[in-house]
Amino acid sequence: MLSWSSHEDGTPADVLALASGDGDAGLPHGAALMAFAEAIAGWDDTVLAGARARLVAEAGEAFMIDAAAVAANFEMMTRVADGTGAQHAPDVMTRVVGLAEALGMAAPHADGPP
Amino acid sequence: MTTVVRDDLSDAHRRSLAHVVSPGARLTGEQRRRIAEVAIEAYLSAAPTPPWVRPFGDPALDLAYRLGRHAGTITKDWYEQIVTEGMHPVEWVEVVGVVIAALPPVAFARAIGAPLPALPPAVPGPPTGREADELAPARLNFVPVAAPADRMPSVVQALSAVPDDWNNLWQLAEAQYMSDRAMDDPLWNRGTLSRPQMELVAGRLSLIRECFF
Repeated sequence: MLSWSSHEDGTPADVLALASGDGDAGLPHGAALMAFAEAIAGWDDTVLAGARARLVAEAGEAFMIDAAAVAANFEMMTRVADGTGAQHAPDVMTRVVGLAEALGMAAPHADGPP
Repeated sequence: MTTVVRDDLSDAHRRSLAHVVSPGARLTGEQRRRIAEVAIEAYLSAAPTPPWVRPFGDPALDLAYRLGRHAGTITKDWYEQIVTEGMHPVEWVEVVGVVIAALPPVAFARAIGAPLPALPPAVPGPPTGREADELAPARLNFVPVAAPADRMPSVVQALSAVPDDWNNLWQLAEAQYMSDRAMDDPLWNRGTLSRPQMELVAGRLSLIRECFF
């Protein structure tokens, strides 16, 4: 989705930056957004407060709030996937397995839930 | 600083918490509220128990805890073990539906530095019995889904066995992320984050959670 939307948007993103969290992935406020997402996924409230303040300073409060909403959505969707053993369909799998490996993730299963 | 949250987002979170404490397909409001409490406790805990520990000795609460904090460690084998112990597969789906209804308002409030929302009191009454008319085993999920299976993406059919929880999931997604209709538009946005910026947040968080979706 990042690769597709950023190409269509005219700001091709560096998808591999997702794995390292380094840099800005080629997007405006990219570094602050990744730091905010990472802090939400972590458990240190001091780090989270710093990442939040940085994003507000760079892009404004409404921007931070919508970024937090997206993060909350993926705290939800990742649990839907993990809690129900969700897998990609085989035709999708052929497209995503290389990306998964490039991102340093275990290759998703093609033949049903693990 | 007074944080101003969009009305549609506040409303979606309020509806979700009301949904959590209402009678569900197989569980009472009281049981659902307790499941949500456990999931929130796990999510926020400074010293969580390891994934392989079952802190409650109760299948529904142990699932809530593991899904709240160690979701990426849940396996088909563990699912089958819990079902063998007596949990009905549809109850498993309902517990997932409760956890994913309770956590987003908490995760969002924590993210923006607002007070964490409290769960409303449980709504009395028996379970509703509202389940899919026909269930089918799925190839794309280890839980059963509404028949026919595997005609839609796995995350879309995931909660289809329990329609009320399925509906709540998608009303949350629309307010937090985007509607179904907007998904196909790579330029859609709310006037704040661009679509690629939204996907950057989604991708980084999902990767840290070790979830390829």
